[in-house]
Amino acid sequence: MDWVSRQFSTRVIALMPVAIAINIVLGFTVQKILNLPIYLDSIGTILVGVLAGPLAGAVTGALSNLIWQYAPVIGPGSNIGPFAVTAAVIGLLAGLWGQLGVYRSRPATGSTLYGAALLGAVVVVVLAWRIYTSPAYSDPANGYPSWVYGAIAIIGAIAAIGVAGFILIRRDAAGAAVAVAGAITGIVAAIVSAPIAAYVYEGVTGSGTDLIVAVLRQGGQDVFNASLGQGLFSDPIDKTITSFVVFVILASLSSRLVARFPLGERLAPSAT
Amino acid sequence: MTDSPLADLHEEPVRLPDFVARLPGGRYRTLNPATKATFALVEALVAFAVRGWTGPTTMLVVGLAAAAWAGLLGRTLRVLVITSPLVLSIMLVNTFLYPGATDVLWRIGPLAATAEGLTAALQAVLRVAAFVVSVAVFSFTTPADDLLADLERRGLGRRAEFVVGAALQTIPRMRERAAEIADAQRSRGLDTEGSRWRRVRGIVPLAAPMVFGALSEVEEQTMALEARAFSAPGRRTVLRTLPDSAAQRAVRWLTGLGAVVAVAGSLAGWLRLP
Amino acid sequence: MTLRLVAATYRYAGAAAPTLHDVELRLEPGRVLGVVGPNEAGKSTLCLVASGLAPATIGGHLAGSVTLDGLETASLRPHELAQRCGVLFQNPATQLSGTTRTVLEELAFGPRNLGLPLPEVLARVEWAAAVLGLEALLDRDPQRLSGGQAQLVALASVLALRPGHLVLDEPTSQLDPQGTRLVGEALGRLAAETGTAVLIVEHKTGLLARLADEVLVLDAGAVVRSGSAAEVLADVALEAHGVEPPPAVGLVRALEAAGLAVDPALLEEAAG
Repeated sequence: MDWVSRQFSTRVIALMPVAIAINIVLGFTVQKILNLPIYLDSIGTILVGVLAGPLAGAVTGALSNLIWQYAPVIGPGSNIGPFAVTAAVIGLLAGLWGQLGVYRSRPATGSTLYGAALLGAVVVVVLAWRIYTSPAYSDPANGYPSWVYGAIAIIGAIAAIGVAGFILIRRDAAGAAVAVAGAITGIVAAIVSAPIAAYVYEGVTGSGTDLIVAVLRQGGQDVFNASLGQGLFSDPIDKTITSFVVFVILASLSSRLVARFPLGERLAPSAT
Repeated sequence: MTDSPLADLHEEPVRLPDFVARLPGGRYRTLNPATKATFALVEALVAFAVRGWTGPTTMLVVGLAAAAWAGLLGRTLRVLVITSPLVLSIMLVNTFLYPGATDVLWRIGPLAATAEGLTAALQAVLRVAAFVVSVAVFSFTTPADDLLADLERRGLGRRAEFVVGAALQTIPRMRERAAEIADAQRSRGLDTEGSRWRRVRGIVPLAAPMVFGALSEVEEQTMALEARAFSAPGRRTVLRTLPDSAAQRAVRWLTGLGAVVAVAGSLAGWLRLP
Repeated sequence: MTLRLVAATYRYAGAAAPTLHDVELRLEPGRVLGVVGPNEAGKSTLCLVASGLAPATIGGHLAGSVTLDGLETASLRPHELAQRCGVLFQNPATQLSGTTRTVLEELAFGPRNLGLPLPEVLARVEWAAAVLGLEALLDRDPQRLSGGQAQLVALASVLALRPGHLVLDEPTSQLDPQGTRLVGEALGRLAAETGTAVLIVEHKTGLLARLADEVLVLDAGAVVRSGSAAEVLADVALEAHGVEPPPAVGLVRALEAAGLAVDPALLEEAAG
């Protein structure tokens, strides 16, 4: 079987509807019912990408958004359809991480484990620092409410401790790789989303994150950069959390069942 | 499908029981799903891509006219109301915080409403409204399995059809299951209401059984699909054929072509619309 | 029209030891073979191997020979296996396609996958519904059936592919007594009227006493006893293998000891 058809084996086809439902039901619950400022609507997409490959992940992501928009199964009126492009890119990247073996469990002890925990924390701090010092957030002329800086610092610190703690508690160096992959996925998602939000919705999405857009515009950013700034704030956090959730799900599934998926052998624990 | 290798095997049209044929009835609903899908996509494309007032306004009027013709005006307007948070956000953020706008209309404290911002906001709201109406009219008049049956007749593969069809039945089931789990946890004292922090804490015990319950069924579903010849080669037998006509085919091509010309003209600048 | 296992040894992918060892069995048309044994005896694995799903769909390593109508299962593709051997699992919910609005469309799912001409598809649906007495359910929503009804629809969906053999893995374990009786009666009719060879794994030995011609006891992946149903189920050694004897057996023994001759089937009828 070739690279493409392998990604759409019957097993993957059976998984995809479940993944799409997880995306939509969880995303809907988190955003609309719990009204939290994260999305959590790409767990299924990343799961399929990691288990099956880039194309399967991209299809899962795009179909999730289109079904959410066009099928009146969960209430019409959402504005998620045009972001199908972002969802596809997220799935594509997840497939790439899967092929590179990013999610492969790497049991570690001693200095390797502490090194990985440190690396994970450093990645988060660097990311937070980039946001903290980015021109989008640090326009001296207007100056932002100080909570913006405080919030970035606090969220960065919590995330860094969370990532390091996750790696140490699970005794698994893979957490560092998952954190990096999640953060990169978030940055790419933000870059892909910003023009869509700017072009289609004049920069806002009707959710809690619009507050960040408003603050950035107040600081003098144009429509596109304000959306990008908001995305660079929300997406790496959301995608890092999502990636860890997927990592935990994969670790909890029977390894015998995981091995039957197209990328199963890239998920088997490594010796070191 | 006249080019089907099976066509000569059954020249006599097979009559399906009514509960399988499910021929759509009622104004607008009787159109072929592909025709309704074309209309919805064209409306969305023109509303988004033809900038200014003309594109979104025309498409909103067209969409509402279709809704009225289908007897769905009330339902469609109620859907529009659901988008009010987005509309409000677009109006506020752009009217008061439009980058680079200087033509101040009025001031509220430190915020200034600008004419340029108000224009951009209203145009974006029109785009959103036209899009939402196009989606509502399509989804209210076209059962998903009609669209899938029609697309399958036009060559959509069994895998794509299965994924979409199964997802559409899995979503409501999973919502029910999530509600059951939430109920069970509420009775055990794990609150899903109350403060935000409590809601955040409530999400893991709510999501985990839902996710693992669904994933645990994938393996058995895989084997059940194989046991029903899912990976057999070749085309699947078409069961339902939804009515279509040469006139509808012509209309689909013409509207599609018209939309492409309008969008290209608008983007290239030789079709100047207000 | 025979299912034969000769020295069949099967090991799951990634497993150190085989789950089935040197299993021998032969199933002729119209016969019902019951399989009993303790938990983890390899009964479900036997179902996968006998139907060819292992190794075709789930991988793993098969030694010895498993033939359907004289053809090695390892050389057949999944859709070719499906037309020779139907499989039914415990949970009716996972076996329905989950994509259809009516039972008729559900029964047509398999024949349509084969690309049969539409009149042939409908003829097979009609036949499968008639064999199991489902005509009155054809216009019902498959998602809104009772457990027993749903299991019969799943069985009919498999029968619509016209397999000569059926492998059933505890088909009544999730059903109430009424559902169990419904499925049990349908299986008896099926074997008697259509000549289908049936292999059924079942905890409910009472059901096997009524249904099976022969019974095979599986323990730790090996066949430890086989013979006529009456003989094996009445064997006092059965309990040593973790199998409850049919409720009728004890009663019959007691009654016979008291000098009363009773037809066990009659007694079971009265008890069930």
